[in-house]
Amino acid sequence: MPYYAKSEDWLQQSSLLLQARPSTTRITTRYHLKPARRVRKPKKSDQDATAHEAQLPEAQEKPPRGHLVLKTYEPHSGVTLKYKTSKAAEVTRLIQMLGTLGRRMAAVPVVEKAEDEGMADAPPTEADGAGAGSGVQTPVGQTQQQQQQQQGGGGKGKKKKGGRR
Amino acid sequence: MGHLSHDEFFIKLADVFSTRKTKGHGAVFLTQKRLSYDQPSKTPSDQQQEEDPLADLHPTQPLPVLVRATNGKGKADRAAKVKLSTVVQPDELEGFYSRYAEVCKAGMSALKPRDRTKRKAKAKKRKGAGTA
Repeated sequence: MPYYAKSEDWLQQSSLLLQARPSTTRITTRYHLKPARRVRKPKKSDQDATAHEAQLPEAQEKPPRGHLVLKTYEPHSGVTLKYKTSKAAEVTRLIQMLGTLGRRMAAVPVVEKAEDEGMADAPPTEADGAGAGSGVQTPVGQTQQQQQQQQGGGGKGKKKKGGRR
Repeated sequence: MGHLSHDEFFIKLADVFSTRKTKGHGAVFLTQKRLSYDQPSKTPSDQQQEEDPLADLHPTQPLPVLVRATNGKGKADRAAKVKLSTVVQPDELEGFYSRYAEVCKAGMSALKPRDRTKRKAKAKKRKGAGTA
């Protein structure tokens, strides 16, 4: 049962598992709290000990650490896929992932899939939809411009760093 | 125990999270799976399954999703166990998950907040470099 380093990998593997076994796969999200690590007692011989003692109560009242583990489990094959994090910034994204996986469970067509199908349909009608083709091309050009701008910015940053050294 | 409505589920889930926060230890389990129990009309019967073992891969219509939440208390502490469950219909998925995300984000407050101190230090460095 592997832990994935990236949540995207976990999402991809989980959705593959759900595709294969949609009615038995379950996803469990475990949020657990652990008391904060104990702070070592400072040596009393030092004069600084008084200062440390003043700081200690604050350290001991440290809020407990929380962890979030996502687990996809399929009981028939025994497949388990896991992802672990402790960052609050990821929660919203992870719940969104649960949502996309929930769509797969419900057998509601996933939005991305529909787009893929649309793209697959597009190539044969290239000759007919020349206007549509140009419409697709413009955003590509925009992204290229953006990339160039970003590259330019990066270069400037590097120059600055070099000058400082 | 029957299934709760979404509103009740979220209110009680928020309670579960807040008790964890005040106690400072313990866990919250959230589970989701396709609702296959007690759905005679929508899930394939045994007979159908014999004919087509992969019938569940392409159901004729979308199926609801079952979402459960517990506070992780086992047999030893049955009295303190909290079990919540709700059924999300396919057309309600989007609304449910956006609210779910809000409740979870509010409840999971013990996770590490985004570290802004490093970024500030970097910004200061940059400023220093720019003036020098």
